[in-house]
Amino acid sequence: MRISYNWLREFVDLNVGPQVLADGLNQIGLMVESVEKKDDDTIYEIETYANRPDTLGHLGVAREVATLFGLPLKTIKWPLAELSQPTSDFIDIQILDPQLCPRYCGMVVKGVKVGPSPEWLRKRIEAMGLRPINNVVDISNYVCFSLGQPIHTFDLKKIGGSRIIVRKARKGEAIRTLEGNLLELDPEMLVIADESRPVAIAGVIGGEESGITETTTEVFIESANFNPVSIRITAKKLGLSTDASYRFERGADPNAAPAAATMAASLLCNFGGRVSRGLLDVFPATKKPRTIQLRLNRIAELLGVEIEPEFVVSILSGLGLKLKEQKKNVWTAEIPSFRVDLEREADLIEEVARFYGYDKIPSEVTPVKSFDLPSDKKREKIWLLKEVLFHHGFDEVINFSFADPEKEQIWQSGYKPIRLQNPISSKASILRTNLLPGLLENAVWNFNREAEGVHIFEVGNIYFWGEEGVHCEKLTLGILTTGYRTGQSWQQGKKETDFFVLKGAVEDIFYYLGYDAVSFEPLEDSFFEPEQALKILLKNEIVGKLGLLKKEIARSYDLERPVFCAQLDLAEILQRPARTFSFKPIPKFPGTSRDLSFLVEANISYQQVYHQLQKLTIPYLEGFQIYDRFQGKTLPPDKTSFSVRFFFRHQTRTLQTEEVDRAMLDIISQLKTSLKIQLR
Amino acid sequence: MSTLQERLTQYQQLFSELASRVKEAREIEELRQLFLGRKKGYLTLLFEELKNLSPEEKKTAGKVLNDFKTEIQTRLEELEKQARAEKPARLIEDPTLPGRQLYWGAPHPITIFQREIEKIFISMGFSVEEGPEIETDYYNFEALNFPPHHPARDSWDTLYINEQLLLRTHTSPVQIRVMEKKKPPIRIIIPGKVFRRETPDPTHLPMFYQVEGLVVDKGITFAHLKGTLEYFIKALFGEKIRLRFRPSFFPFTEPSAEVDIECIVCSGKDPQCRICGGSGWKEILGAGMVDPQVFKNVNIDPEKYSGWAFGLGIDRTAMFAFQIPEIRYFYENDLRFLRQFNRK
Repeated sequence: MRISYNWLREFVDLNVGPQVLADGLNQIGLMVESVEKKDDDTIYEIETYANRPDTLGHLGVAREVATLFGLPLKTIKWPLAELSQPTSDFIDIQILDPQLCPRYCGMVVKGVKVGPSPEWLRKRIEAMGLRPINNVVDISNYVCFSLGQPIHTFDLKKIGGSRIIVRKARKGEAIRTLEGNLLELDPEMLVIADESRPVAIAGVIGGEESGITETTTEVFIESANFNPVSIRITAKKLGLSTDASYRFERGADPNAAPAAATMAASLLCNFGGRVSRGLLDVFPATKKPRTIQLRLNRIAELLGVEIEPEFVVSILSGLGLKLKEQKKNVWTAEIPSFRVDLEREADLIEEVARFYGYDKIPSEVTPVKSFDLPSDKKREKIWLLKEVLFHHGFDEVINFSFADPEKEQIWQSGYKPIRLQNPISSKASILRTNLLPGLLENAVWNFNREAEGVHIFEVGNIYFWGEEGVHCEKLTLGILTTGYRTGQSWQQGKKETDFFVLKGAVEDIFYYLGYDAVSFEPLEDSFFEPEQALKILLKNEIVGKLGLLKKEIARSYDLERPVFCAQLDLAEILQRPARTFSFKPIPKFPGTSRDLSFLVEANISYQQVYHQLQKLTIPYLEGFQIYDRFQGKTLPPDKTSFSVRFFFRHQTRTLQTEEVDRAMLDIISQLKTSLKIQLR
Repeated sequence: MSTLQERLTQYQQLFSELASRVKEAREIEELRQLFLGRKKGYLTLLFEELKNLSPEEKKTAGKVLNDFKTEIQTRLEELEKQARAEKPARLIEDPTLPGRQLYWGAPHPITIFQREIEKIFISMGFSVEEGPEIETDYYNFEALNFPPHHPARDSWDTLYINEQLLLRTHTSPVQIRVMEKKKPPIRIIIPGKVFRRETPDPTHLPMFYQVEGLVVDKGITFAHLKGTLEYFIKALFGEKIRLRFRPSFFPFTEPSAEVDIECIVCSGKDPQCRICGGSGWKEILGAGMVDPQVFKNVNIDPEKYSGWAFGLGIDRTAMFAFQIPEIRYFYENDLRFLRQFNRK
């Protein structure tokens, strides 16, 4: 809201300059966002709030300023040159929907000479950032920005049957507005109609046909009050926001209507106008003022500072509240109708605090009486998982939760996507069902900007419709690695990433999170190349997958290099109990190791070898580790060679060579049965 | 079978030949085992043959063998000495070459900043809570005292899924979810992703991060809100930073406040400052005392309990702290941007 320093002085004899005034406005929450010098005036752009329609006019701001500086608010007289005929001789006003129009005031001014406004009025209008139009239009704007009460002026002669009917629009009705647009009306919208058609959309905008023109001489002034919700719905539907709708949807003061009509009429008298006798005021249901109890001790309890009762009374009185002391330091406050925001005791305490000054309230430590024990370790586990990935050289990214439905289709994630009703753009019109598209976009972005390799991960939700139309959001981990690895030294040279870089990181996540029961099995999937992917299982339940991304998918993102990626269902993983830690004694006796190289049929995978190695029943066998695997070269084409190192240890003594020799013979014989191995 | 003497001569030749080739300690040890090994050493085996000889022959042969043994031992000791002396054989040719550094992945700057904020509050005894990103109108608005069709909703422009569901526009619905389940005292912060229907520009995006704080107990005052936020801001920006509390409006707090901090770029000295616009102040967070209607909505008696809450944009605060000109940098995920914060 633009506020003019000079205009404020119409309502209060300010004894402070523009800078002190700006500081004062800031203190009471009417934040000055910018200051502009214009001729001899200072114009402030102040921040106003949705619950303070009273600050949308200079009178309201003047009331705040007067209270802050302890000055009286001036009362202005608006004399009228009256005709002898009463208003009702010229116009009939009927409210068919008093819910949506609680009050409607009208006055008629005859003999107005429409023409340019005088300089003082033009300055006021320009101060508001508007262009002066003519005296009648400028006066209605002047009244609006003075009192915060929008008024509308009609050409009386264009109002058919001299009747104003406030009613809902009829099906099929339309109106051409002052802006020249023809708008279709729907039956939920409130209109101002004459005997046959709408002449204005109530509280939003007037009609072109009934508007003021150069030839207008008889002006009908409308100063009414409309239901805020109805105005908001109408304005939203029509995609219109006017100075009038902005004020009405925040809740204009029904008691400001008569004064605004009178002020407008009085000003029109300066241009030859003669006003009909008496205000026509249709006000079917008058409202009693609200009262709120205020206790001085509650102020201290909420603000943490004792405030003098005299200060409380003077501030609230200055703001137009009528205070009656019930008993010592307890008041009943009658709330003026222009303060729609004051409903509870806390609202009054805020008023006291604003004028007391937030800066004067002391700063204290928030006391603690008890601490909550950490409820679950989920957040710590997520951080640990991230640390594992940092350690493996993966950078963290965060992508938008929105996705492009076309791109999403390439993946066939199998989830039914959640569509947004009012997306920012069609390319962001669904929520992602998969983290990998975002990671691929990141890879492309960085390859286009000098990166030679991209190794990234994201922890975030995916979203989809679950069974029975329940919306689901699932915490997910996506990992991608492609191109050269980061941070190679001059000794090693460049190294390209591979599948095992990814798998190692995934295995380490499970290892360090304490999920020992993880296993992998071959996977055929819409994301990956055949036979180049694995599903990740925790106790037989699939919790993720990893592999070499399908070429077609990578190509659709313009990526030519092999892309390895993984996606893990963190929501599922993290809700499972991890291994409980227990200390194991450090071995007292030396262990020993033996290597074994053997051949198996080429179609046997390491996983099958591993399962058989795990099944070995050998005394003192502590563990084993694969250290080589190859095919071809000197081998027959139908064979694979594996080399495994076995570790042996006795807990209470040093092992004898012969014992280990015997164990190795046992291993060989067991593997000959289970895997049909041939020794190399 | 050749005579003992013949084999001895062979072994002596073999030894001197091998000894002239060995260099490393491992090889020397192998050589020792070959000749002097306890079971199969050549010399050990020769000594064993002595028992088959006559006492006369034994005496002469024994001496010869012993001499050879001494010779081997002396030679091996010499070789060991040499091997030890030649240890620094692998010279560092150019120690000015760079070392072998490890690359650690970079946490996203939002993660870094969010963790910093969390740490400060955890040190003050707060717990961290989370909530869903897809919310109902009730939790996002109604329970927080936004009436339907109220213009107050304009500042929280919403992305809707359907009539009931929306993407949360702030982390505040988690306040309601926590207060529904847990009775006071409550002392939590709530970090998370939020969504607004904003057209992207240098300071606005349809998705960003917030952190929310909530304290509910008997006797909580606005002074406590001020004290805690002052501590938080100073812990984040340094002891010397100045703050300003000014009245504002949020439907779910009463009284409400906005907190500005002194512009760390120009301290109010540059009228053209692109961070603060010359005002010297930067709006950083919204706060206030929990509105009594919000308490009623979760069955907490506002006559018995009071509380404070605040909300802060993580992206915007990080932008201010590091003078990042564009909010979209956070979600472009350019590695040249992300990796800078690894060394913050």
